[in-house]
Amino acid sequence: MIVRFILALWAARLAMFVARVTGRGKGSSLPGKIALKIYPRILKQLGRQIKKGIIVVTGTNGKTTTNNMIAGIVGDNKGSGVIINREGANLITGVTAAFIRAAGPFGGLHADYACLEVDEASFPGVVREITPDIVVVTNFFRDQLDRYGELDKTIALVKDALKKLDSVRLVLNADDPLVAQLGRVTGKPSVFFGLARHPGVSGTGSAAREAKFCPFCGAELAYSYYQYSQLGNYKCPGCEFARPQTDVEGVDPGVDGMLVSCRVRFRQGNMYPLQIPVTGLYNLYNGLAACSVGLLLDIDMDGIRSSLAGYLPATGRMEKFLYRGKPVLLNLVKNPTGFNEGLSTLLSVPAERVNVLIAINDNDADGRDISWLWDVDFEVLSGAGEKFGTFVCSGRRAWEMAVRLKYAGVREETVTVLEDFDQAVRTALEGTGDMSYFLATYTALWPVERILSGYAQRERTLPESVPSISGSVKSVR
Amino acid sequence: MFHLYPDLLNLYGDRGNVMAFARRCRWRGIDVEVRQISLGEKVSFKEADFLFLGGGSDREQNLMAGDLAARKEQLREAVEEGLVVLAICGGYQLLGKYYRTLDGKEIPGLGILDLYTRAGRERLIGNVAVEMEINGMTHRVVGFENHAGRTFLGDLKPLGKVLAGRGNNGEDGFEGARYNNVFCSYLHGPLLPKNTVLADNFIALALKRRGWREELRPLDDSFEKAAVDTMLKRIL
Repeated sequence: MIVRFILALWAARLAMFVARVTGRGKGSSLPGKIALKIYPRILKQLGRQIKKGIIVVTGTNGKTTTNNMIAGIVGDNKGSGVIINREGANLITGVTAAFIRAAGPFGGLHADYACLEVDEASFPGVVREITPDIVVVTNFFRDQLDRYGELDKTIALVKDALKKLDSVRLVLNADDPLVAQLGRVTGKPSVFFGLARHPGVSGTGSAAREAKFCPFCGAELAYSYYQYSQLGNYKCPGCEFARPQTDVEGVDPGVDGMLVSCRVRFRQGNMYPLQIPVTGLYNLYNGLAACSVGLLLDIDMDGIRSSLAGYLPATGRMEKFLYRGKPVLLNLVKNPTGFNEGLSTLLSVPAERVNVLIAINDNDADGRDISWLWDVDFEVLSGAGEKFGTFVCSGRRAWEMAVRLKYAGVREETVTVLEDFDQAVRTALEGTGDMSYFLATYTALWPVERILSGYAQRERTLPESVPSISGSVKSVR
Repeated sequence: MFHLYPDLLNLYGDRGNVMAFARRCRWRGIDVEVRQISLGEKVSFKEADFLFLGGGSDREQNLMAGDLAARKEQLREAVEEGLVVLAICGGYQLLGKYYRTLDGKEIPGLGILDLYTRAGRERLIGNVAVEMEINGMTHRVVGFENHAGRTFLGDLKPLGKVLAGRGNNGEDGFEGARYNNVFCSYLHGPLLPKNTVLADNFIALALKRRGWREELRPLDDSFEKAAVDTMLKRIL
């Protein structure tokens, strides 16, 4: 067995090496696939060597960001080795590859923690091999339906897998009824995070909203307000299911340019100011989830705050570039809720005029069914008048995107279709706007990012350029 | 236009069909009122010119079936009188006689159309191209299917012939069903926005019932045509 184990390890390493030298297959699942084929128990064997804790992040949106934030907090404050699967390699093959990369030539691991983002559908398979101590569930939205069947089934998969885990603690989004229910149905000890009511909440839900009905009794949930999509303060009129009391709550959230902030209230007690150099309210949820994990690991709030203040976004998670002095933002979109959040950020960016590029692919990793574009509220763009220079549509389904914009009320003469990414990126950058905003689906993101970094400089948010903690206290009152 | 249970059946961008119908009316200066019908709401199908029925996940589908069962006779009458209907996926199956699950249980449908559906083990998923005849002309229509049910037609015409993809049941090479002014299909994607010939067909049929005799004013459909051609080139 040990021979096969080492053979599997080396074969996967060789595949990684080949991918690196040839520059092909970035984010490929091949090394993990090879290793699991040669020795199916390799992940179990490697996972067992983690000394202190395995943290798994699953859910629809925010996995990569949340996991990177958690790994940052753990690495900064616990000092010891952390294994992480970066940049969305979140199927069992990607998780396996992350362990293999960290292992010594004979399969030895010297890491205290593993922080893993795991795709919802892969979750049962992954936790059969490795036993997480903490599982974070960010949210559930419809995503790539043609791969998973329907959302209810995805949730059932995660639920059943959680029930089988013995000594796990859960970190759950209190504002999402689909996630919050997991505390009760699994009976596992749970920590809930959420956002408090603030002036930006809405009285009505969006069209893409999931979960209108109570998961326990089927009655229609009553909401006193919505944060976005089905996230909000809900209560079932038919049974006792309601938004649980939060352990970690974000109070007075603020979005200020490229910075989100709030005060974190821990167990209804002390308040701590928090600032993260990212955009969009949804990233505050990711930050609060990471905070919760930090607190469960007995890391003090000051340590958590300073890690989050120095957070660097991963590829395409609101990554910043500069082109001839003008800012360019690159954002991954993969489902209606994420896209709606991206659009509301687009409408609020501090610019006179914005060049917009939307790149839509329909490969397996994007979801082959692009009908989800019709669940995104592009209609918000039609009211914005002169705010947008051009809309450049690109990718394999560029024309579909153009049709969607047309039916959303965007004037056809402002829409340019260039299926080729290079042409599309150049055209968008040369637009009349004083800023550019790029949105791309998963497999369009890599080429767009590569082309963009050829024309524009990546802007590094260095830790010293992030406002200090004392400064942030002032700005959040 | 009646959009049935939009708060329930909001999967797969079905609302795009509603948008396409409404937009293409308004672009021609035709007033259109979209009424969103909820569970239990009192309505008369006689007031509608076009009725859209989509699909949902199992739980939502059951709720819709229960509600429509109570309106069955009213709907049957309207269909016989020529109400223009588009039913997609779950809505399509529901108009038939029954849905037989894998363990042999038969869930009754509305029985308005002569067709039945049985569950298959594998879901039929992917891009589809269909050739169909509309007003004596042959057209190619594209969409995306995602269904576990296999539908078999009795004494009914299919909507079209499958050029690529699986269609009704993956066996007989047909897609969808037609009866009077009722059109059923497994294609979402959604169906109407890029397949303008279908969208305009529904508008024309609805107007004709109201005594309108003129031709529909043509619109600039270059985006839509390019979207369809891209897919035809790829999958055929």
